[in-house]
Amino acid sequence: MAAQLVAAVVDGAPQTAEAPIAQQIDFTGHTPAPGSFPARWICGSPSCMDNTDPPVQVHWYNEHTVFMRQNKAYSYEAPFMHLYFGNERVLMLDQGFTTLRSDWPLRDVVDESIVKWCARHGRKPEDMELLAAFSHLHSDHYAALAQFTDRPNTRYMGLTHEEMVGFWGMTNYPEERVTLDLGGRNILIWGSPGHVISEFAYYDTYTQILFTGDMFYRGRCYITYWDKWFDSMKRLMDFLDTHPVTHVVGCHVECSRTGEDYPYGVTYQPDEAPMHLTVAELRHAFEVAKTITKPGIYFTGSVYLCNETRGTTTIDRNPYRYDS
Amino acid sequence: MPQSPPNLATTQFQNSTGQGTGNNGNADAPYNPPGAKNTDSCLPLHAAGEVTHNYSSNGPAPGNIVFRWLYGSNVAALNRDPRIQAVQYNEDTYILRQNVCVHWEAPFSYLLFGNKGALLIDTGATPEPAYYPLRETVDRIVARWTRFRRKQSVPLTVVMTSAEDIAQNQGIGQFTGRPGTTLAPKPLEETKRFYKLAGSWPSGASQIDLGDRIVDVIPTPGTHKDGITFYDRYNDILHTGDLLYPGKINISNDRDYVASLERLKQWRAANSVKWILGGHIEMEFAPGKAYPRFATYKPYERLLQMNPELIDDALASAREVAGKQTMLVRPDFILMNGVSPDERTRVFPAGVPNITSPRPF
Repeated sequence: MAAQLVAAVVDGAPQTAEAPIAQQIDFTGHTPAPGSFPARWICGSPSCMDNTDPPVQVHWYNEHTVFMRQNKAYSYEAPFMHLYFGNERVLMLDQGFTTLRSDWPLRDVVDESIVKWCARHGRKPEDMELLAAFSHLHSDHYAALAQFTDRPNTRYMGLTHEEMVGFWGMTNYPEERVTLDLGGRNILIWGSPGHVISEFAYYDTYTQILFTGDMFYRGRCYITYWDKWFDSMKRLMDFLDTHPVTHVVGCHVECSRTGEDYPYGVTYQPDEAPMHLTVAELRHAFEVAKTITKPGIYFTGSVYLCNETRGTTTIDRNPYRYDS
Repeated sequence: MPQSPPNLATTQFQNSTGQGTGNNGNADAPYNPPGAKNTDSCLPLHAAGEVTHNYSSNGPAPGNIVFRWLYGSNVAALNRDPRIQAVQYNEDTYILRQNVCVHWEAPFSYLLFGNKGALLIDTGATPEPAYYPLRETVDRIVARWTRFRRKQSVPLTVVMTSAEDIAQNQGIGQFTGRPGTTLAPKPLEETKRFYKLAGSWPSGASQIDLGDRIVDVIPTPGTHKDGITFYDRYNDILHTGDLLYPGKINISNDRDYVASLERLKQWRAANSVKWILGGHIEMEFAPGKAYPRFATYKPYERLLQMNPELIDDALASAREVAGKQTMLVRPDFILMNGVSPDERTRVFPAGVPNITSPRPF
C-alpha cells in the first residue's frame, strides 16, 4: 500500500525539473489557429449495452481547444461539449445529458484534459480557473453541471435566464455582445434566442469557430419563436460580414451524410454527417429562412428548419403502411 | 398476498393462480399423469419413461407472470441485465423478452411445448447471437424440457406474428440449419401457403398441432399486411404481436385493422380467452401514457397482459380513427393512424387520471 502511494505521488507530482517553464501563450498572432475535426465521431452501436466506445469522446481540435461528444449509448441526445484554454482560465461550454458522475464521468474527463494541458504548458491545474457555462437552458446541455459544483477554482452558470445573462455581465440581451478574456484569448458572446429564450452564440477569436448551440446545427433546429430566431439569424449574418469564421459548430448531429433524418431518440447513427458546418451553409439557411412564412419542416440541404413544430417532431413515417 | 393452499378434501380445486377451477394441484385429477404427487407440477416424481402430458384442461391452464420485466437502465451502455429474460409461465409455456438495452423495441417471444413439438412465436429485433442469443436460450430451454419429459428430441417450429416486422423477424436467421426445425417463410404468399390459408386468407383460420396441444392461426392484417394472431387452446391466450399490445399501435391499413379486430371479437365470443399477450410494452403504468420510441429505460412500464375486454375497446377506438389521420389515446394502448410514429396529442381520455411519471436523471 505504501509503495503504491509513493508511486502515485511521484506520478502525479509536477515534474518541475522537466516541465517547460510557464510561458504566456500567444492567442492573437497567428489566427485562425489551425485545427481539425475527427473523420468520424462516435455515433452509437447496434446494441447499446455492447457499446465499447468511451463515455465521452475527447478530440483535441488543436493544442488549446477540445471538442467532446457524449456517447449515444449514454444519452441518445449525444451532445457536443467544448473546452477553450486561455493563459488564465478554461471555458467549458455545455455539460451533456447525464447527471450523475457515477453514470457518466464528465467531471473526470474534463479534469484529465485540464491536467494534460497544464502538464504540456507548464501550469498547475489548480491555478487554472474553470468557467462552466452552457449554450442554452435545456437539460441536455447542463445535466452534468452538478458534477462541477464542488470543484475548486470553478465558477458555473446558474439555471435561470437572469443568472445566465448575469454570468456574462450582459445588460442588454440579446443584442449586446460581450468579450470574455480567458487570458490572451477572447471569446465573443451574444444572445441568440429562438430555439429557446435563453441562448447564446459564442465566437472564439483564436480558432475563429462560431458556436451556434441548438439554434443552428446539423439536424432538426426546433424553432420555438420564429421572429426571435430570425432576428438571431440576422445578427449572425451581420457577424459573418464583420468577422472571419472558419467553422460553424452546433450541439448535435441528426442527419446522415446523404441528408437522411435520424429520428428523435435513436441510439445508432452509423452514417452520420460531420458536426461542423460551413459559413456558406449558414448563409444559405438564412436565404431559405427568408422564404418561410408558415410553420413546418424545411430542409436547407444541410439542416432541417422546424418552424414552430412541437419539440420532437420528426419526418419519420410508419414504414409498413399498405393499401388493400 | 399469500395464497391459501388448495383444500384437497373438496372436489373443486384452485389452480396456481388462485382463480378458476383448473385441475392442477389435484393429484387424482385426469390432468395429472399417474404417479403425480400433491404438486403443481404436471411431471410425475419418478417417471418410468417418456412423459405424455394431458393438455385437456378445464378452463385456461394454470399459469402466471410472477416476475417484473427488466426495464433497462438510465445509461444503456452500463446495463448488465441478462440479454434475454426468460420467464416460465407454466411448465409448457415460456415467455422470452429481449433486453431493452440491446434493442429499444424489447420484443417478446413465446415458446410453447406440446407432446410432439415446440413452437417459437416471434424472434426478436437483433440478428447477432452475440448481442441477442435467442437460439442458445431456446436450445437450453428445449434441452431442459426434453430431459424432464424423457423424450428423445423435440421438433421446433419458428413462426412470427409478422414476418415483415423487423422488430420480430431478426432472430430467425439464428435457427437456420438447426436440426429438426421448421422456419416460417417471410414473403406473404409463401406465408399463406405455409399455414394452408392460400385460399382463405384472411377470413379463414388453420391450426398448428404440437401434439395434443393445438395452436390456432388467425390472419389479422392491419398493422402488418402479413399479421397473424396465434391462439393457444391450452392457456387460452391470444398472441397478437403488433396488432394489439399495450403501446403505440401503428395502423398500416385501417380497414384491415378493423376487420381483424372484428375477427378477434368473434373469436373471443366463441372461445375462452384469458389474456392477450402482445409483442411489446410501450405504455407506462400510468394510464394513457407511453414511453417515447427508442427509450432504453422504462421503470414505470405497464404489465404485458391485457384482459380480453380490451378487444371491444380497441375495436371501438379503431372505428373511431378509421379514415382519419389521427392518434387516439386509450388507457391501455394508443392508436396511430396515418401519422408519424412520433405524433403527440393533447387530447386525453375523459375520466382517466392524468399522471406524469417521474423523469430519470
